[in-house]
Order: sequence, then C-alpha cells, then structure tokens
Amino acid sequence: MYSVRGRGHGSAPGAYAGPKRGKFTHDHESNSAEVSKTGFLARYLFSKDHKVVGLQYLWLALFSVFLAMGMSLLMRIHLVWPSAQIPFLANLSGTPERYAALMMLHGSLMVFLVLTAAPQAGFGNYFLPLQIGAREMAFPILNIIAFWFTTTSLVGMAAAFFSSAEKGLNLWIASVTLFCLASLLNAINFSVTTIDLRAKGMTLPRLPVTVWAWFINAILGMLIFSILLAACAALLSDRLLGTGFFPELGYWAGQPAAVRQLALPILWQRLFWFFAQAEVYVAMLPCFGLITHLVSTFARRPVWRERLVVLALCAVGVFGFCVWGQHMFASGMNPYSPLVFSVLASSLGLPASILLISWLGTLWDARFALNTSMLFAIGFISLFLSGGLSGIFLARQDLAAAATSDDFITGHFHLVMGVAATFAILAALFFWFPKMFGRRLNESLGKAHFWLTFAGVYCVFMPMHWLGLIAHSRPAAGGALAAIPTAGSSIRTFITVATLVTVAAQLLFLFNFLWSVFFARETNEANPWRATTLEWSVSSPPPDDDFGAADPVVYRGAYEFSLPGAAEDFLPQHVSPEEASRAR
Amino acid sequence: MAGTDTVQEIELIIEDIGGGGGGVRPPGGGDDGDSDDSGKRRNQRPASPKRYSTAIGLALVSVLMFFMALTSAFIVLRAKSDRWMPVHLPRILWINTIILLASSATLELARRRLSNADLPGFTKYWRATTVLGVLFLFGQLVAWRQLVVQGVYVASSQASSFFYIFTAAHGLHLLGGVAALAYVLLRKFETAKVSRSTAAEVTSYYWHFMDALWVFLLALLYIGK
Repeated sequence: MYSVRGRGHGSAPGAYAGPKRGKFTHDHESNSAEVSKTGFLARYLFSKDHKVVGLQYLWLALFSVFLAMGMSLLMRIHLVWPSAQIPFLANLSGTPERYAALMMLHGSLMVFLVLTAAPQAGFGNYFLPLQIGAREMAFPILNIIAFWFTTTSLVGMAAAFFSSAEKGLNLWIASVTLFCLASLLNAINFSVTTIDLRAKGMTLPRLPVTVWAWFINAILGMLIFSILLAACAALLSDRLLGTGFFPELGYWAGQPAAVRQLALPILWQRLFWFFAQAEVYVAMLPCFGLITHLVSTFARRPVWRERLVVLALCAVGVFGFCVWGQHMFASGMNPYSPLVFSVLASSLGLPASILLISWLGTLWDARFALNTSMLFAIGFISLFLSGGLSGIFLARQDLAAAATSDDFITGHFHLVMGVAATFAILAALFFWFPKMFGRRLNESLGKAHFWLTFAGVYCVFMPMHWLGLIAHSRPAAGGALAAIPTAGSSIRTFITVATLVTVAAQLLFLFNFLWSVFFARETNEANPWRATTLEWSVSSPPPDDDFGAADPVVYRGAYEFSLPGAAEDFLPQHVSPEEASRAR
Repeated sequence: MAGTDTVQEIELIIEDIGGGGGGVRPPGGGDDGDSDDSGKRRNQRPASPKRYSTAIGLALVSVLMFFMALTSAFIVLRAKSDRWMPVHLPRILWINTIILLASSATLELARRRLSNADLPGFTKYWRATTVLGVLFLFGQLVAWRQLVVQGVYVASSQASSFFYIFTAAHGLHLLGGVAALAYVLLRKFETAKVSRSTAAEVTSYYWHFMDALWVFLLALLYIGK
C-alpha cells in the first residue's frame, strides 16, 4: 500500500520520520501541550496555517447554514399558517417588511456564507495547497484578514436583521461590501498559490480537477466581486450621501405600492446581475470539481475525458460571465438583447452536459463503493440534472415570464444551487473528514441522513415547479380544471411539512458531525479511500507544515486508477516510477 | 565543523542537479514566507518572488473591473440623461496630472538606479516619487475645495457625484500606493522577506497603473461633459 509504506508517512499519529525540529515535532492540536509557545489566539483564531483557516470557514458555514435554514422554516410556516404563534419568534415574520428581511437574510447567508464560503474558502483553503504540494497559501496574512472580514460581514448581516429597515439595509450593504473585499483577497490568494506554488512535477495537466475548479473560480471571483463592490459603494453613497447613481430606486421607493410593483431600476439590475449571475457559477464550480474528483476516486476510474472536463469548467466560467441579461428580460432593455442572452444562457447547457456525461462515463461499468460520500455525490448528479432541466425553460425569454411564476424559479435555483451544492459540500465533508480530523464520521447515521434529506428536498422543491406553472393557468370556473389553483394551498402545506421534516433530519448530521469531531475513535488513517492526490500522502491530520521534511514531487496525473497490469487499482501522484515498478 | 560543511556542500550539489524540490534539504535553507522563527519552516524551497508580481497583476485586474463598473454606470447614465449638468474641471487637475506623470518618470529613474546598485540615487528618486505622489493627493483635495467653494457638492448632480466618486476612489487607491512607496523607502530590507528590487518592481506596476487610470478617468470626465 503506497500510503503506508514509503517515506514513513505512516498511519500512526506523527509517525512519519522527519528530523526533530525542536518545537514543532508533530501535527495536530491534541499533541501540542508540551511544545506550543503560541497561545490559543495565535493557534486557533489568527493562525497563518491554511488548514486552520479552512476549518474556520467550515465552522462559519456550518453556523450560517443552520441559521439560514431556521429562517426558511419561519418563512414556510408563515406562508401556510400565518396565524401560528411561535414563542419568542412571533414578531419575526409578522409584517411584510419582516418577511422580506427574513428572505433577504436567508438568501445572503446561504449564497455568501455557505455556498461561497464552504466549497471555495473552506475546503479550498484547506486542500488547495495540499493538493498542489505547497505548504501554505501564497499570502497567509491576507488569508487571516479575509477570514475575519467574512466573519464581520456575517455579524453585520445578522445585526441588520434586528435593526430598523433603513439602518438595517445600510448595515447589510456595508456587510456585503466587506464580504466582497474578503472574497477578492481570497481570490488573489488562490490564484497566486495555484500559479506560483505548485510542487515540482505538478504541471497544469496533472492538477486535480478540484484544483482547476478552485483556480477558475478564483479568477471569476476576482472579476465579479469588484463589480458588486462598486455597485454597493454607489448604493451606499446614494443612501448616505444623497447622490443619484440609482435615481430610479429613490424615485420608486416613494411611489404607492401598485406603482412600485412595476418599478424597473435598470442600472442597479445591470450591475447587480452582472455580479449575481456569475456568482451562482462561483458557488457551483467548486462543487463540479469536487464531484468529478469523488466520482473518479470511488469508482476507481480515471475521469472520463479529463481535459474536456477542465475545458467545460472554463466554459462555465466564461459563459457565466456573459449571461446577466437573462434576469432582465422584463426590464425594458433593448428588445434584441433578450435573444442574445437567451442563446448564451441556453448554451450553458453544453458544458453542463459535458460534465454530466463525464460523470456518467466515469461511472459506466464501474464497481463503486456506496459509502455516504459517494451517495451524496450521486445525489448531487441527480439534483443537478433535475434542477438544471428546468433552467432550459427559464433561459427562454418568451417562456419565462409568461408561463411561470416565482415559485418555478425558486424551485429551480434551490435544486441546483441550494441542495445540489449542499450535497457536494456534504460529499466532500464525508470524504475529507478522515484527513482533517483523523477520525471517521458515522456511516449509518450518514446514510440515514442522506436518504431522509434526498427524499425531503425533492418533496420540498419539485412541487414548487408545479406551483409555478399553475399560477398562470386560467381554467373556466366549474370545470374539472378549476380545482387546480385551489390545489395550490394543499401543495404549499405539503411543501412546508416536508421542509419541517427535512430540517429536522439535518439534526442527524449535526449530531454526527459534532460527536465525531470530538468523541469518535482516532484512527489516523493516512489514506482510507486509497486515493491518489497529494493530501493522502501525509498523515491525518496533516503536520503543521503539511509535508514534513521533504517537498513532494509529482510524477503523474491525479486519476491513475485501475491501470491494466498494475498490482494496485490506484497509483498515487507522489510515488516515483521506481517505487511503482518495485511494487508491481 | 569540517564534516558538516562537506555534507552540506554535497547536499547542496545534489540539490543543484536535482533542480530543487526532490530530496531532504540541509537545515537552514530559505524561509517560505512565514516569519515565525521557531524553525518550523526551515526545510523548504525559498519563497519565489514571482508570487508578488503575479499577485499585483491579478489585483490590478480586480481594480480595473471596479473602475469599469463605475465607468459603465457613468456612460449609461450620461447617455440616458436629459439634464446633465457638467462639472467644470478645476485647472489644478491638469497640474496634478503632470505631477503624477512626473512621479512615474522619477519612479522609473529610481528603479534604473537600483538595478545599477546605486542605492543613494535610488533613494533620491524614490523619495521624489513619494513627494510627488503626496503632492498629487493634496492637489486633489484642493480641487475638491475649489468645487465646494463654487457650490458643487457630491450630491449636487449626477455629474458631480461621478466626479467625486471617481476622484475619491482613485485617490484612496493612490493613498495605498503612497503607503507602499513609503514602505519601500523606509524598510530595512536586510531583514525583510522580499528583496528591495522585488518590492520596488511590484510597487512600480501599481503606481504606473494608477497613473494610467488617472489619465483615463480625466479623459472620461472631460469628454463626458
């Protein structure tokens, strides 16, 4: 077994043979009682270690996801049982303003703090350097700054919720501005690390697909967060200094509600959607990379058409940059532009199809272990397909507004962004948990959680498509079809009950995660999944400086699985050809 | 000790042939960007100064996107507006532009001196650049003052809002540039992670970009009147 033999990267804690360097002999926190001369703050809160920063982001995302799920629960309950009295929370969804605030905070927390933070900043910070053979990110101090900016923006957004509408909105915009800065810092860090800090032999074609995804994502992030930064700065200037960058916003706000409904603040829409449409791909790209990686590892197959997959990731990045207008079909922009945006948006189906075909191609005729991580990965494929298909309809400018209502869109983007991305995060978590903590998550709990959640999210979000379609139906009164609109309310109740059950099922995961982090047996397996990338060549958890005494050298690509004639069904990247032939 | 030296010599030779990165390093190699001197980071390849140039290049792309967002907003609103009240650009702006262009010239002269290992010459021209940069910022404040005296405030009209936000954003970025210039001027580079020439190079990219950006913004505001 490559992961156990060789350079002494054994499976016992700290068993690798590196020269004693005085203070820092071993790796993880539990062993530091006698050696650490740095205090709690320096080790856990302001650490320059990219692994600590990655974990910090993951904890932040965990907190945010449960907070935001709670908000969605409040919204659903209010939608269906508006008169329900919930103790302590009665005034949180009672008025239209409070409901809108709930929705805004739910959305911001999920999109920014969960979907942008966890797959990119969380797993990326932890595993990008490890997978490319670097010992750290390019600018560790920028990393710390970015993390604390992100945390401050979370506090700001949460505080905005409890403030008055005017002040709260200003606070929210300021928090988003801070988040943009943090993301820009992260993006620079990721890009420079991937470009300049790769280990010897880690050429671009040998990069794991996860690294490609993080890298392309970083480039995309660098382009789009500046736009949102500018838009937010201009908006804040309007609100606080009385400038007139978005005159329509101020004008429309003073109009009666019936007129406001028709408001079309075009400049803000342009700037916002230029960012936000690309942002959804920022949320999805790391997930694509993760799933490609996981499917290959668990199916013991190379990625099917790996170069095409990387090209597809690039295409998603480029196209995602060009389709902001698909949210502005009804905004009164140039009548010919919807056609252009429609075509561009629909053409995103091409890279998406390439990715799907690659995943299925990798799985074809493969015997794969159905552990929890793989279950979540396959669940991702299912959800991405289901949610993506409705996107084809939404890309048509003539269909979108006339045939569907908001519920259709909500169902669509929750399936792809909300749930599919979350499944990718969970798959990655179950995959990398042994590496990060030297222990395993409980598989039975994990599988139970998976099935409940999988069934639950389909029950929650699929009916929304139906609700969206029937909203525009106009059957003659008294006919059999007249029953359709009234069915809406029972569907809504069904969705709310399914939400309750699904959110409750997440407690299974929370218990599994927290219990396993603190109380599970330490197995410290270096490579339990028999994977090929560099992070599996070191101990679990990795040592402080990631690779011990010697810098890693890479000899091959990341997906050398099931090579004909080989002794093992995998060949890690760091094993030299001499060692490989010796093992044969 | 002789033995150790020989061993180190041999290992250094092996390192050389291997092209770096393959085997166990002798202790005491370059640090890798972490000033934590507990010895944690000793056995690695030295920090590549290339990362700073890559970083500044990418950062400048981000800054460009930021200003492009504002520029596109300016173009759209200007085209759409039927009541555009143009701002009369104060004369001092042209003087400021000359000052900024001069500072770029002195910056390049300084770097040329540095590559000829003429440290006093470098310091002289670098100091000149810093002073010119500070003068530019003061000049911008004077321009603002002149506008305020005329009664043109940030919220007076869309045109004035754009003037102020463009000059403020550029000025803030330039302030960061001045801070970088001061850092290079004052830092003792013997104990620093980066070399003086790397720091000077990276700062120069930023400064020249800010220079070009200012020329672009001034042209935009002038043509957009």
